Amino acid sequence: MRPVRVAVVGGGTGGTLVANKLATELRDRVRRGEVEVHLFTERPEHYFQPANLDIAFKGAEPRRFVRDERELVVRGVNLHLGGVKLIDLGNRTLLFDGSSLEFDYLVVATGSRAMPELIEGLAESSYNFHTGQADARRTWEAVRKLERGRVVILVNVPHKCPPSPVEAAFLLDEHLRRRGVRENVEIVYATPYTRAYPTHSIAEVVEPLFERKGIEVVTLFNTDYVDVRERRVRSLEGEELRFDLLITVPPHRGAEVITASGLGDEEGWVPTEKETLRVKGYDYAYAIGDATDIPISKSGVVAHLEAIVAAKNVIADIEGTGVEHCYTGRINCPLEVGDGRALFVSGTYAKPPERQEPSRLKYLMKRTFPNLYWAVLKGRFEAIFDLYLGKPYTVRGARG
Amino acid sequence: MRHVVDARGSFCPGPITELIKAYRKAQPGDEIELLATDPAAKSDVRAWAQKSGNEVVSIEERGDHFAILVRVVRR
Repeated sequence: MRPVRVAVVGGGTGGTLVANKLATELRDRVRRGEVEVHLFTERPEHYFQPANLDIAFKGAEPRRFVRDERELVVRGVNLHLGGVKLIDLGNRTLLFDGSSLEFDYLVVATGSRAMPELIEGLAESSYNFHTGQADARRTWEAVRKLERGRVVILVNVPHKCPPSPVEAAFLLDEHLRRRGVRENVEIVYATPYTRAYPTHSIAEVVEPLFERKGIEVVTLFNTDYVDVRERRVRSLEGEELRFDLLITVPPHRGAEVITASGLGDEEGWVPTEKETLRVKGYDYAYAIGDATDIPISKSGVVAHLEAIVAAKNVIADIEGTGVEHCYTGRINCPLEVGDGRALFVSGTYAKPPERQEPSRLKYLMKRTFPNLYWAVLKGRFEAIFDLYLGKPYTVRGARG
Repeated sequence: MRHVVDARGSFCPGPITELIKAYRKAQPGDEIELLATDPAAKSDVRAWAQKSGNEVVSIEERGDHFAILVRVVRR
């Protein structure tokens, strides 16, 4: 009899952590050859993505924020580099690199793609820090040479890391002040939301700070197209903004393999039950992180906490315990406001984020995390996260 | 055509993101029914409809959540 096979597709935060948790917690079964854990990822480089902000607006060195995936997986994880071409969920089969793998359980952790090319004129006229380190570095090159003019920070939805556009505005302001050129530069923040931040309790903190720093906010601005020649961006609502430098948060879509496999909605997000994290209609497949259609932040912390929940559910399935772990919708996203201060956007499905004052301590917590991240991927510090955030799941009895 | 968008439990980025996603693929004459628990969604959707030239048909309380019905007038 062949071993029970768990396939994890995607080697970002969620995929790496779920594979490591499975191999660790099922290590006796893995050692006895009863369970196999397979992790598929396209490239060996694993990036700490939140640092793209530091690369783009502080000139941080990109190499500090990349590791080799082969060093990040624990013993017992079969790592496949090269990515998956097709997921045949009905027949429980993956196609990759001319081979196939039959699986018993699947975790989809394929993430999201920032796609400026989806909006006419956007890719050729803008800088962004969501398409990877190289583009974050290009943004830095533009920012550090900026002397005067009008910068538009243009937010498109959906996008990963809800705080990131606001942080970009704060950090750009801070950088320009430090160089003594802030008074020559106008910063305009254009967002599709009704407030500077979509969650009102957080907008109440962000908006006065924007005002104090002279960052102009244009709300309800959904990008229609960019007139490249005239350097103007136009909204579906009929407004127009002129720019000298355009920094955008591009609209995001699900991974190509999801669309190619017919698993996603129109934008490539996997229909997912928001508590059990099962792919809708399948009791042997789970989806986590940016890949899902759950209306929650696409962020590292969500991928991290959902990975823990999905791993526990796969283990419960394999061990036949009949218990289900239900994700609480916990989010806890750092938001840096410049001047060495930050706050956390923290809540659950049942509890909206409350207003928080930015502090030096929260900034230091944010700055510490990149050093812990690589160990967190191996499932370490979980007790500390549980202590700080509470368990990210509730448990219910036999599946009903 | 009616698009039902379930944004219950969403506070960040919130229901308005889901509404905008549905709006981008809707046609004039379509209706979008947005289910939400975040009370800020009511004022957000009204403000969005006013600026974008669309219409809030109704806001209905349904126990632990509410439903906002939007008619797409302009696209």
